Amino acid sequence: MLTISNLDLSYPGYDPLATLSWQISSGDQVALLGRSGTGKSTLLAAIIEGAPEVTKQSERIAYLSQQPALLPWATVIDNVLLGFKLRGTKHSSDLTQRAVDLLDQVDLGALAYRKTSLLSGGQKARVALARVLIEDSDLVLLDEPFSGLDRSTRIQMAGLCQKLLVGKTVILVTHDPRDAQDWLDTAMVLTKDTIKGPYRLNEFGSDRALIQALDGDL
Amino acid sequence: MNRLLQATFPFIGLISLWWLIVFIFDVPHFILPSPERVVWVLVERFPLIMSHAITTALEIICGLILGASLGFGVACLIGDSKKLTQLTMPALVISQALPVFAIAPILMLWLGYGFASKLAMTTLIVFFPVTASTLAGFRAIPKSWELTFQTLRPKRAQLFWLIRLPLAIPYALSGVKVAASVAPIGAVVGEWVGSSSGLGYLMLHANGRGQTDLMFAALLVLCVEALVIWSLVNRLANRFDQNSQVIS
Repeated sequence: MLTISNLDLSYPGYDPLATLSWQISSGDQVALLGRSGTGKSTLLAAIIEGAPEVTKQSERIAYLSQQPALLPWATVIDNVLLGFKLRGTKHSSDLTQRAVDLLDQVDLGALAYRKTSLLSGGQKARVALARVLIEDSDLVLLDEPFSGLDRSTRIQMAGLCQKLLVGKTVILVTHDPRDAQDWLDTAMVLTKDTIKGPYRLNEFGSDRALIQALDGDL
Repeated sequence: MNRLLQATFPFIGLISLWWLIVFIFDVPHFILPSPERVVWVLVERFPLIMSHAITTALEIICGLILGASLGFGVACLIGDSKKLTQLTMPALVISQALPVFAIAPILMLWLGYGFASKLAMTTLIVFFPVTASTLAGFRAIPKSWELTFQTLRPKRAQLFWLIRLPLAIPYALSGVKVAASVAPIGAVVGEWVGSSSGLGYLMLHANGRGQTDLMFAALLVLCVEALVIWSLVNRLANRFDQNSQVIS
């Protein structure tokens, strides 16, 4: 369960934004749509940084953003296991095997020991997804993770998320409902004044409906 | 061959212009000696010029090593904390804002007329660019990276050694490159204020005796020396700089 009570998304020096209250049950998977500058990323940052307005059941959060935050000098598998290294946990052979298995699931098993700087954008996104999965966190926050990828890679990433994030609580922040339509059912819309929803994602079949929703008119 | 021509063309042009000015206006050699006269002095007084060049080179190289190490070390100590950086920044800026000429007499008083005061001057001039660049490296990590690492629940020391420090190194190296181009200023200013050897001292000494050709020869060697040290530091920095394309 994730509860947000009266969280002000405004940023000092900018136009005021919504003060929102929102509750997400464990296992819910929801897309959060909204125009640029409505505070979507600020909301995710508040959840990660543990703002006092946010109450969460578990401290274990995974975060995947548009910039996959991979260390270019490290190998793919070292990037997947980065969390364990940062926590000072020793790598066991079981853990390494789990990382290889996850890389297999995102079709990167053959590249496990390749330097990350040599990968394409789509491959890097999949490495970051494998890192999210190995952390086995209860709450997964995805901040436009498919932006900057070509359409076919976006479809591939959405398919992997659908398959591999089963049972997790997921918030997917995106501009484009197509990134969520094949995978999620529900969407919330964040405007400059409020958060509205839930909507069925298939309600945004037409551009007109989407624009109406983003403007808070749906 | 083409690249060599491109690189030497400006020098050839400059020397030709210099020679033409001397030839056309018949400038006396104690005002502006001709290029061939400078070359002749360079050959004739080569051992003397070289002994002074070695002193200056040592001051520049040792100052670079010491200043870069201190700058990098200080940045590592304060870079991890925003508050500490804000507290120490004014002192760091003052260390750069004060002209080296203003500090030189004080350093002479404290450290004497020998190697130590020149080393201190060069160290001081090298220190700031390296500190500032390394600090910029610590600050350059995007918010989304910070959030990602925060969700990985890192130990502070591991985060510093495994991520923050390697990400700051390309910035530190660009600071060292800048520092290598300004380091000779520290050494030569120090020699001008008070010393008994070095190219700065030789130039001052020659100036006092009207030996303009010797001054020019020393200046020429100083230019070559600065250029060689700068290219060596650049090569070394580029070899270590493997993390340039960090934000991917």
